[in-house]
Amino acid sequence: MLRVALTGLRANKLRVALTGVAIVVGVAFVTASFVFTDTIEARFERLFSEAARGVDVVVRPVRPEFTTGDPTEIGAFDASVLEIVRAVSGVAKAEGGVSGFAQLVDHDGNPIGGQGPPTLGFAWIDDPDLNPMEIRPGNGRAPLAADEIVVDSATASRHGLALGDEVTVITPQGLGRYRIVGIADFGEEESLAGATVTGFRLDEARRRFGLEGRFSEISVVAEPGVPPADLVAALEAILPDGVEAVTAEQATAEQLAEIADALGFLNVALLAFAGVAVFVGAFLIANTFRIIVAQRTRELALYRTIGATAAQVTRLVLVEAVAVAVVAAAVGIVGGVLLSEGLTTAMDALGFAIPDGPLTLRARTVVVGFAVGTIVTAAAALLPARRAGRIPPVAALRLDAVRPPRRSLRDRAQGGGALAAVGVALLGIGLFAGPPNPLAFVGLGAATLFVGIAVLGPFAVGPLTRALGWPLVRWFGAAGLLARENTRREPRRTAATASALMVGVALVVFVAILAASTKATVRASVLETFGADFTITSANFSAGIPRIVVEELAALPELDVVSAVVFDVAGVGDDTARLVAVDPKTIDGLVDLGTSGEVLARLATTPDGVAVAEPLAEREGVGIGDTITLAFPQLPDFPGRVVGIVESSDLGELVVTRATYDRGYLNRFDSMVLARAAGDLAEARRAVEAVVDPYANLRVQTKDEVVADAERQIDQLLALVTGLLFLAVVVAILGITNTLALSIIERTREIGLLRAVGMLRGQVRRMIRWEAVLIALFGALSGIATGILLGWAVVAALRDQGLRSFAVPTGQLAVLVAVAVIAGIVSAVYPGRRAARLDVLEAIAYE
Amino acid sequence: MTTTATTRIAARLVDATKIYGEGTAAVTALDGVDLAFEGARFTAIMGPSGSGKSTLLHCVAGLDVLTSGEAYLGDTALGSLSDRALTLLRRERVGFVFQAFNLIPTLTAAENILLPLLIARRAPDRAWFDHIVDTLGLGHRLDHRPAELSGGERQRVAAARALVTRPEIVFADEPSGNLDSRSGAELLGFLRRAVDDFGQTIVMVTHDPAAAAYADRVVFLDDGRVVDELEGPTAERILDRMKSLGG
Ligand SMILES: Nc1ncnc2c1ncn2[C@@H]1O[C@H](COP(=O)(O)OP(=O)(O)OP(=O)(O)O)[C@@H](O)[C@H]1O
Ligand SMILES: [Mg+2]
Repeated sequence: MLRVALTGLRANKLRVALTGVAIVVGVAFVTASFVFTDTIEARFERLFSEAARGVDVVVRPVRPEFTTGDPTEIGAFDASVLEIVRAVSGVAKAEGGVSGFAQLVDHDGNPIGGQGPPTLGFAWIDDPDLNPMEIRPGNGRAPLAADEIVVDSATASRHGLALGDEVTVITPQGLGRYRIVGIADFGEEESLAGATVTGFRLDEARRRFGLEGRFSEISVVAEPGVPPADLVAALEAILPDGVEAVTAEQATAEQLAEIADALGFLNVALLAFAGVAVFVGAFLIANTFRIIVAQRTRELALYRTIGATAAQVTRLVLVEAVAVAVVAAAVGIVGGVLLSEGLTTAMDALGFAIPDGPLTLRARTVVVGFAVGTIVTAAAALLPARRAGRIPPVAALRLDAVRPPRRSLRDRAQGGGALAAVGVALLGIGLFAGPPNPLAFVGLGAATLFVGIAVLGPFAVGPLTRALGWPLVRWFGAAGLLARENTRREPRRTAATASALMVGVALVVFVAILAASTKATVRASVLETFGADFTITSANFSAGIPRIVVEELAALPELDVVSAVVFDVAGVGDDTARLVAVDPKTIDGLVDLGTSGEVLARLATTPDGVAVAEPLAEREGVGIGDTITLAFPQLPDFPGRVVGIVESSDLGELVVTRATYDRGYLNRFDSMVLARAAGDLAEARRAVEAVVDPYANLRVQTKDEVVADAERQIDQLLALVTGLLFLAVVVAILGITNTLALSIIERTREIGLLRAVGMLRGQVRRMIRWEAVLIALFGALSGIATGILLGWAVVAALRDQGLRSFAVPTGQLAVLVAVAVIAGIVSAVYPGRRAARLDVLEAIAYE
Repeated sequence: MTTTATTRIAARLVDATKIYGEGTAAVTALDGVDLAFEGARFTAIMGPSGSGKSTLLHCVAGLDVLTSGEAYLGDTALGSLSDRALTLLRRERVGFVFQAFNLIPTLTAAENILLPLLIARRAPDRAWFDHIVDTLGLGHRLDHRPAELSGGERQRVAAARALVTRPEIVFADEPSGNLDSRSGAELLGFLRRAVDDFGQTIVMVTHDPAAAAYADRVVFLDDGRVVDELEGPTAERILDRMKSLGG
């Protein structure tokens, strides 16, 4: 039986190849996702253990649970701890370090790095055993004077920094000019995961980060024979509160986990796209096999007449499907490896330096790739295979094609309706009931809904193609009429062919709606919230606005009011809350934090005053005059006096003064400076630009520019996601090509007849083309409808999270319809050419 | 030949030879055939299986090309025409009725009848259409699709389609081959009337002497050659002639 199945495959190379493409794409994404994650993990593991080589134990501040891991939040402890550590028996060597944010500026005045990996500065440690960096011979020396620095070699080579160059470094203390005296590597690597690293002399680092008399970490080398764990225990016993000791191994593991976390979104994205590709592919596979079975009815019936059981015929089809899947999965795995290689290169280009090394292809990845490929294919081919088994033996004997019995329309309506209902219910639960794993519910719900709609699709084929087809019939005569009728002759096939496109388009529409709604929300919120003429923000994540900038701006006569704001996170009970630190005397009217002037006045006069957003106040059960206990990195139990309950705003749930903030946090960067012009706007702007200009990472924007900037970022993300989703659309187009090519084989005689009675080749091609366009339009329109439904549901569910506007990007939908038409035309090229080339005589020859 | 000077020649073959395949596998389907079909007459072509009847029909109808010799439709030599020109010629000047699979399953009977006009984007002559439909008794069947028609009805729809463009000539390859004798007789009677009433030219291939008896003239083929012909045939005379040819 296997041989029979494989013969069937060989006879249909094209359709096998087309079916396989869907599996290849899906498996490639799955594989890439695993290979990429494994590779990153393996490479960083090597990098970090290399960097920590020689160090056995790390002494560090206890990091509050709510912090995000920024270096400024790691905190610091008194320098005296170093002497305590050194006195512990078993400690061979110990050296203190200091670290914080340091933004390097290149020779053209542009900030270096900071879009992804951080820009770090730290105190250079002279003992090579305790310093993860090393200056190779010929690369200079360690910093000896306060104005000397060492930079990492990747940054140096990428930005043309050389020994002896003078560069600007921005830290919370403002600008500083330094001379590069050394270029350092991390063991074998040139870069620490793409971070921009600057090494200062210890006293200079402390001054720049405001950590005089303190350390943020101590590296410890154990005496030979002393296990690190024992040393940790010994240190823990005597370390002061707020300082802890961990093994270097554990610290490395934690760093790894952070990297994995930071790149986790990529993994999720890859798996999501894999899911979409596999899901769309499944439709394509099911459809192809359905047609193949229909076409081979007589052959399969013949097997039955010569004694094959129904189960054997079913198995025959399944074996064929699995054989395709195995080959396609193998190709997909190779493709996935290439894809992940491309991905690491792309990440490198974006500035996320991923350490060099081989790709990691684990056996597990290969197994999963094959499993996904074969299981999905077998599952998709199961229904057509079962139908093949139901073909009665008499079908072999009858002249007219006997179709195996089909489920009744009522069953289909009920089944499809039930599936769609279950899908909607799952979506509803995921979106509105707040289950522990909402994404899973939403994903499963959407998938079920898609299947339900695909099952119900045939009912819509009649009316929809009639409506869409009339211009064809009107303008394109016989070709148009036949195209329309061809899509209607087998509504199931048309719907099934279109369903892959439906899924792809629905997802594109869904993402577009989400993006449009977010943009509308951002616009409304920025325009409502900001009263300032200008905002000054940092263009990258890691460095902020040094305090001196605010002071200089405040001194400008062109500006009426200047106020600085810091956004951060504080602990509240077991949870976290977004915190805004403001200057209550100047902030009023510049930005709407939900606070009234009265509340701000109380904030200014009440020591430890806090304004709390209404939902948070309700959750914590506090009112005006009560005390709310907050956790700040430097003040784990801060007793906040509630001076006002304010409307919740998009910016934060807790409002404190900057004075309070400075007590609770080490960070001295401001997040945003707001300013109002005294007179002429353009003049004021010039003055502001003049102050801000030396700070390469800072930018001045009006409200409109803030909106435009946010919109641009959303659009970029949208373009990326849409680009990937278009892969699903490409798979769907292949599906249409496949179906048409197969149905042309089926319609050989019909086309021959048309040619005999006078249809030109061009007309035949046009007929096939319009048929494809109708199918594509059917898929696109049902996809748009489904996508709008999904988008509306998700936007409605996210209303509480601040997504207040629902916007349908009609322009983009129109483009999508146009794309569908073009896709239809493209997918018809090959089948149309085949149909036009059919030999008239062969086609009408009667067996 | 038995043509008179006044009779128009609708189609003819001159030294027509058709060879399929090459070398040892070559099959000579037509072997130097000279034959003319007069206008407004009903000609039947008979002969044993494999004698080249269908090949002859295909070559003179512009569906296939001769290996040598020439086929003319009216005064048009087909040999030098492109695929496009041949297609347009079939569309404008020729009608077909095949033995089976004459109709497009997705189209209704009416649409099938009008198909050549639809393809040519020509407006139908309503009165002519009604007349044909009436004569063929298809009036109540026009909105049905082929699957909902009987075999006889299907062939009548095919005949209506062949006539609707008022072609110079209609070719029929065993049009009644799949029909019972009553449906077959109805169809053949209709073809006969088309010749008598509208002056239609018809060339029909058949195995059945009773069918051939509807024609004005029977041409006998054997082994790719014209071996005999008969004017004003009856079924008995045809049978006699077939016996003598076979013997
Ligand atoms: N496409 C082809 N390739 C090769 N040989 C062919 C082809 N078509 C027909 N023949 C051969 O040419 C000869 C004439 O065939 P044709 O179909 O014209 O016969 P026919 O008289 O119509 O037979 P029948 O009564 O069975 O329909 C036969 O020997 C046939 O095998
Ligand atoms: Mg024949």
